Amino acid sequence: MRLNFTVNGRAETVDDVWEGESLLYVLRERAGLPGSKNACEQGECGSCTVYLDGVPVCACLVAAGQAEGREVRTVEGLADGDRLDPIQQAFVDAGAVQCGFCTPGLLVQAHDLIERVPRPSDPEIREALAGNLCRCTGYEKILDAVRLAAERKAGAR
Amino acid sequence: MAIGKAISRVEAGDKVTGAARYTEDVRVAETAHAVLLGSAISAGRVRGIDTRRAERAPGVLAVITHLNRPDFAAVPPTPYTAEGRMPLVDDRIHYAGQYIAVVVAETREQAEHAATLVVVDYHRTSPVPTLDAALSQAYIPRENGLARVPSEYRRGNAEAALAAAPVRVEEEYRTAALSHAPIEPSSTLAYWEGDRLTIYDSTQSVHMHRPLVAIAFGVPEDRVRMYCSLVGGGFGNKSYSWPHVFLAPMAARVVRRPVRVTISRKQVFTGTGHMAATVQTVRLGADQDGRLRALIHDSVNQTSFIDDRQETASAITPYVYAVPDLYARIRVTKVNTGTGGAMRTPGDSAGAFALESALDELAHRLGMDPLELRRRNHADVDPVSGRPWSGKQLLACYDQAAERFGWDRRNPEPGSARDGDDLIGYGMAGGQRTEHQRPAQATVDLTDDGTAVIRSSMVEIGGGGLTTLSQIAADGLGLPTAAVTFQHGDSALPAAAPTFGSMTSGSTGSAVKLAAADALRAAIDLAVGDRRSPLHGADPDDVVAHEGGLRLRDRPGDGESYRALLRRNRINTLRGDGDFQPEGEDAEHAMATFGVHFTEVRINRYLPRVRVVRHVAAFSIGRVLNAKTARNQAQGGIIMRLGAALMENQRPDPVSGRFISPALTDYHVPVNADIGEIDVIFVEEPDTNANPLGARGLGEICAVGICASVANAVHHATGKRVRSLPITPDKLL
Repeated sequence: MRLNFTVNGRAETVDDVWEGESLLYVLRERAGLPGSKNACEQGECGSCTVYLDGVPVCACLVAAGQAEGREVRTVEGLADGDRLDPIQQAFVDAGAVQCGFCTPGLLVQAHDLIERVPRPSDPEIREALAGNLCRCTGYEKILDAVRLAAERKAGAR
Repeated sequence: MAIGKAISRVEAGDKVTGAARYTEDVRVAETAHAVLLGSAISAGRVRGIDTRRAERAPGVLAVITHLNRPDFAAVPPTPYTAEGRMPLVDDRIHYAGQYIAVVVAETREQAEHAATLVVVDYHRTSPVPTLDAALSQAYIPRENGLARVPSEYRRGNAEAALAAAPVRVEEEYRTAALSHAPIEPSSTLAYWEGDRLTIYDSTQSVHMHRPLVAIAFGVPEDRVRMYCSLVGGGFGNKSYSWPHVFLAPMAARVVRRPVRVTISRKQVFTGTGHMAATVQTVRLGADQDGRLRALIHDSVNQTSFIDDRQETASAITPYVYAVPDLYARIRVTKVNTGTGGAMRTPGDSAGAFALESALDELAHRLGMDPLELRRRNHADVDPVSGRPWSGKQLLACYDQAAERFGWDRRNPEPGSARDGDDLIGYGMAGGQRTEHQRPAQATVDLTDDGTAVIRSSMVEIGGGGLTTLSQIAADGLGLPTAAVTFQHGDSALPAAAPTFGSMTSGSTGSAVKLAAADALRAAIDLAVGDRRSPLHGADPDDVVAHEGGLRLRDRPGDGESYRALLRRNRINTLRGDGDFQPEGEDAEHAMATFGVHFTEVRINRYLPRVRVVRHVAAFSIGRVLNAKTARNQAQGGIIMRLGAALMENQRPDPVSGRFISPALTDYHVPVNADIGEIDVIFVEEPDTNANPLGARGLGEICAVGICASVANAVHHATGKRVRSLPITPDKLL
């Protein structure tokens, strides 16, 4: 089948999509966007988290056809050109990145949290990110990064 | 100085924008995809395997089984070849999930679909399902492949000393089988051009694993090029080459195309090893004043019917405390499970749970503070060799962590601290890890644009080696870290030490330091011999690196930049070579890393789920190369082991022996919401006795001692001694 959707602001048309394909597969294998990671294929780890019409989803659990006519935003679409989004910059500055495999999904999830809750409390951060596994278990620095990004965003307002 | 600074990770920008490329992100034209079919039974034979329907399925290129596979040239050596039996060699089945067929198709989906069409006729035999079922058959393996770890160690007469000791503790401790569960499933992409093999593999060491593949396929090592720049977490499961690594090149030969194998999440649990379950007994004898007289530590772990792989739980025990009479033994027993792997921290994490729990029991029996008990038995020199330690700041670790934690506020009486319905417990435990070193090579090229390039095959696994080693080269040449780039993860480069065994800092880091010094020396020689240089004729020993160039030590004005020096001499690059060779057995000093942990738990009286609300650790690792990456790595190691303490368990089915929870929905690892405050202290002391850099490893010592610290805190909170991991609520009811 043919799939039309918008990804990171760009209109995308891909052909020969098999009905059983996931959105993650389409992003990684057909749209040239391997930033979202394929790590568990069943929505357990959060590494493939992307925005679908502004709502974070596990792309591995979304059938490709469900993205028809909708807007997808991935980790590749968080920065504004060369300028990192505050959450990306905070992950760098706080040292919240280790192996980096969970990072793309965590960034989208954390980005969404700060959009919804500009000054989240620590328990709110921990709860919001509880679906994103990090096996390097850098959770302490990830918490620091979200706090830092929230502060910077609030300061800039 | 860049070393020690908390600079941001050099590859962080790529990792936060999705630009970082891991093995599964590498694209090669015409790649076919292989899916591995695992056995549904855990013991027996494949009586028949019907692949006809699978072969006719859309997109299928080949179905490879033990009946039609090409031969391997030889079996490469264990343990870095993870299993001593090559995949698909015969019809025998030793564990559930063992690969029995490879289905290759145009797309992964097509291969997955076709794999469901393979019909297998099994001949089942009766499996040995669990460690308990096999315990009476435990034995000392004849060869363990780990030359440095003897299966048995004895000093004095531990049995007699134990019998004579006035105070004794004799208990059994159990640790569960664990999964490394890295977020990146292992992936291998292989293609042949004649007898040349290119292989992209999610490996923790291209240079350790390339020869294994070369031996298996009977080609000279220099015909194999192995790449791996970034690994998405390994924790040891990518330190050995598991069967899929050999199946990808095999399939590529069969279909004459590049073939990618990415194992499924379930296969991460069954196909890349695990930390084997152990049953350990610890017997301690002590004087009334807490001085240890005797220590016996006996460990048995499950292994597979293929290999004798030890979980070396009592290997560290002889080195930890000053005990005159000691006996340690490591046995294995065969179970129908896969072969275990090395998981952070091999042997020592499981062993410390038993030893450090037993010490807490002894302290309780003596009415002595558990920290004081450890101080009294401090090993001032290595108790095994009698050699001095290259560096050991354990007593300072005790002091600083205890103070930060507020250990002196602890009322020793179990159950004495409460907050509403919460029972509060304070516990502590120590940890020690033998420091390993391996030969490592690197070059550092000084370029005529005033930058430097490190070349070494190191794989970045997340520990921060790209950053810390760049800092080392920057300092060696007087450059900012941003002026250093790193070519890595390619077997065509000089051989780094593997990214496991905590060897990046000490071994590869030392190679980079030596290479930078060599490049500096070459630049100095060039300058002092060059009439047009302001440094012409100077004594080379008076010339130092400074801000992108050279100058005289005592006359800061006289000097020039590397850029000017090289361009004037029409030299593009000046290469420095670094070759680090460990001292080995003849070393003057014994080397180890040390740590101590303090944990506060809170346990609801009515629903006794253990929450770790606060944990303070201190480590003695010599010099800290980067405060930011080190702190994050240490906190991560602690949290990983909190998972082992409280939730992680690869439970075997009691009948078949197969792991019943091979998914992250059932095998729970810590998530953000599980974690309390984790504080880390480094007691620094540059250790140039260990290596030129003065840094020992961190990645493993940070994960030793945590489980005992938690168990000891649970005892303090509740009066209950839990001697089997994980400490789940049912054990506290």
